[in-house]
Amino acid sequence: MEFYSKPGEYDAINYIPHTESHGTKELWRTFWILLGITIFDFIIYFVMGPSGFRNVIFITFGLVKAYYIVGAFMHMKNEKINLALMIIVPTLFIMGLIWVMLWEGNAITESHTHHTVEAHTEVHK
Amino acid sequence: MANHSEAAFEKQPMWAGGRSPFNVSYGKLMMWIFLLSDAFTFSSLLVQYGAQRFSNVQTAVTTKWPDPASIFNHFPFLHGLHLPLLFVSVMTFILILSSVTMVLAVEAGHRNSKKEVQRYMFYTILGGIAFLSCQAWEWATFIHEGARLDGNTFGITKAGYDHLHSVGFGSHFEWNVAVDRTNGPVPFAALFFIVTGFHGFHVFSGVVINVVVYIMTVRGVFERRGHYEMIEKAGLYWHFVDLVWVFVFTFFYLI
Repeated sequence: MEFYSKPGEYDAINYIPHTESHGTKELWRTFWILLGITIFDFIIYFVMGPSGFRNVIFITFGLVKAYYIVGAFMHMKNEKINLALMIIVPTLFIMGLIWVMLWEGNAITESHTHHTVEAHTEVHK
Repeated sequence: MANHSEAAFEKQPMWAGGRSPFNVSYGKLMMWIFLLSDAFTFSSLLVQYGAQRFSNVQTAVTTKWPDPASIFNHFPFLHGLHLPLLFVSVMTFILILSSVTMVLAVEAGHRNSKKEVQRYMFYTILGGIAFLSCQAWEWATFIHEGARLDGNTFGITKAGYDHLHSVGFGSHFEWNVAVDRTNGPVPFAALFFIVTGFHGFHVFSGVVINVVVYIMTVRGVFERRGHYEMIEKAGLYWHFVDLVWVFVFTFFYLI
């Protein structure tokens, strides 16, 4: 561990930080959470009818599952905040892009529904 | 000792060189960056899927976007029964389980326990192969029913939905193709094949990586090296594949 104070000796390619086991308890707990959420997904799918609210529930559950997979399984919780931000911040922009493109797609549907000529809509009913 | 080195680490200027600002190895950092770029690739497909699905309008020749539950309702060995979402939930369960065995292998690697790493890696490989087999079956069924990259016979008419909703979960169901079905939107089948295919290819490469790492473990490469860092890197990739499946499951099957 001496090389922290001797910059000349730090070898970026071969540097391996010391890791230690955090036990398997949390891992199994994460497994049960993921399994529980998936079963809950399955139940909600049949109990609730299709609706925007149900989709919000499904997406929220997806994000919760992602949190547990990245946090516990990929050990993101134990990484330095620098690394965590480098990975998480760009994915937030991705979510923004997905949201914007859904909005765009919906606008196309709306324009087709409301601005077509009478005869045209006749056919589609 | 440990505290002392940790304190020394914190005192070094973060970005002045001579230390890792992320305190991870080079290989692990590169794996994270690769996964981020791979996340961009997958999200471009998801963006495409979302935009297509939301902008999908009924035309004179195709119906609206079909309800996934009306299509993916098969289960192996239970032919002809209406069981929506059940098979894909089983696939999700298999992938989650193989994720757990993977992370247990990583944990065993931290303790330098070769035997346990070997065992858990073996289970992970089995899980990956099981998942790929399920996907092969699902594709075969879907193609057999008429789905193609350049066409989609799953345009479900109003009569078709009425027929479908008249049967309960687990009861016998057979399409009355002439009345129930017409042409559906082409991107439906194409996007299903491309996105699940791209994910399946990732699972396949994950299995190959896991097999390589397993053989290296058996031959004692990591034992001689003194650390099992390679298991962690393979693990990161494997968990990423699981993560992508969470979103494929949500957007393709649930919504």
